Amino acid sequence: MSTAATPRPRIVSQEEWLAARRQLLVKEKKFTRERDALAAERRALPWVKVEKDYVFDTPSGKKALADLFEGRSQLLVYHLMFASDWEAACLGCSFVSDHLDGAVHHLANRDVTLVAVSRAPIGKFAPFKQRMGWRFKWYSSFGTDFNRDFHVSFTKQEMAAGEMFYNYKMQNHPMEEGHGLSAFYKDAAAHVFHTYSTYGRGVESFINAYNLLDLAPKGRDEQDQMPMAWVRHHDKYDSDYFAGEPASASTASVAPASATQGCCAQRP
Amino acid sequence: MSTTGTGKSAAALKHQVVSRQEWLAARKALLAKEKKLTHDRDAVAAERRALPWVKVDKSYVFDSSTGKQTLADLFDGRSQLIIYHFMFGPDWNEGCPSCSFNMDHTDPALVHLAQRDVSFAAVSRAPISKIEPFKKRMGWRFPWVSSHGNDFNYDYRVSFTAEEMDEGKVEYNFDMVEFPSSEAPGISVFYKDASGNIFHTYSAYARGTENTVNTYNYLDYAPKGRDEDHLPFTMAWVRHHDRYTDGVLADADKPYWPSFDSPAR
Repeated sequence: MSTAATPRPRIVSQEEWLAARRQLLVKEKKFTRERDALAAERRALPWVKVEKDYVFDTPSGKKALADLFEGRSQLLVYHLMFASDWEAACLGCSFVSDHLDGAVHHLANRDVTLVAVSRAPIGKFAPFKQRMGWRFKWYSSFGTDFNRDFHVSFTKQEMAAGEMFYNYKMQNHPMEEGHGLSAFYKDAAAHVFHTYSTYGRGVESFINAYNLLDLAPKGRDEQDQMPMAWVRHHDKYDSDYFAGEPASASTASVAPASATQGCCAQRP
Repeated sequence: MSTTGTGKSAAALKHQVVSRQEWLAARKALLAKEKKLTHDRDAVAAERRALPWVKVDKSYVFDSSTGKQTLADLFDGRSQLIIYHFMFGPDWNEGCPSCSFNMDHTDPALVHLAQRDVSFAAVSRAPISKIEPFKKRMGWRFPWVSSHGNDFNYDYRVSFTAEEMDEGKVEYNFDMVEFPSSEAPGISVFYKDASGNIFHTYSAYARGTENTVNTYNYLDYAPKGRDEDHLPFTMAWVRHHDRYTDGVLADADKPYWPSFDSPAR
């Protein structure tokens, strides 16, 4: 629960509120249009042909990157942080992933296949997926260069040196896995192109909880803590939101301690 | 091109293909703009929180699956309440497809929002007897109550009277606009203090509700984007999530969407 001080704004008449609200609306509309314009710039980025053959482990056997499109021409891959020796996905990635399923079906009707890919072997994260109740397709890049090439897994040497390329710059990322989203296009000749990748706060718009909190009086309410420090796997909060559902037995997280740090919560 | 069914038929894209090095340079230039937009978003959210509040003096009583509930009850012990104004008129057979599209992304957020002292409820003017079966059909779990018979929807400018509709323009999204339907979408936010006083802190309408449509948030990163420019209106491709194959709209005669020729039936 929030520890923020009680907000104490001015209490005004409906007329005064309307005047203030209309002023803010102008800025909100400006932001919406800037967002549209930026999405257009994103689509105008050039593409890079994917020349390497990546083969993923899936519940139905080995699949090439081209197969992951499942007959559609666009593929979005969420780089979900799950290293080979972890028992659970990172908290921030789980927070993002909680919001995937609602979009998958609608995206499929816009010629987009949305999947998750992690570096751990599929047997490592399958039980966790079941525990979380997620239905999206989740594949393993274990043994391939995929995570390395898209800059979301780092070597022991990079970790030791404290320097690796993440979010388009050399930096000291705190973990061997990074999160992100990569977009691909497949043409009629089955050539695959890498069109876009985003990392860091670039995935934040997928977190509907944040989208809603940005409308609430207290906002995200994270000023006094690391962003997402309050986030747990959704079955590990001390009560369930939905009435009539049994509350979880434990409030402890089973994520490795390191997975609660850094990960999806970097600013700026 | 087909807008329903598999979503697999679409015009091919032609695009400039470059080396990894060239792509990186272009991508880094875009990243600077993306970071600016992220910070602009933070700033707009801060301005939102700086808005003054209006005390809610009227008592609103809603019908729920468990009986009558007041606006205060909907806070469910928390101090912040987000209401989604779900378009579902009393004479409709199902909720609006676009509102359903938005709400498909809601349930997973609620357990997290509760940790941040926020409760959520959807409110529609349809009677609860119509809301409940539709909610079940959609498989949603969020609280959804009926404002049937109270002023809530009219006061928060998401339902319009027959007289208002006859005028040709209605007050919506803080302006006088033509609107095709007696019901409109929106989000309203309330705060309850320790004494039980309730304040209206914020409302958004139209595209102001778009940030919570996660499918759009993903499409904005895809090569084709939202791909709606050639459609009669945005979201013309949207169906209830169990209706993409047949495209059936139970209320195809209701003008909850802008008028356009021959929606998929």
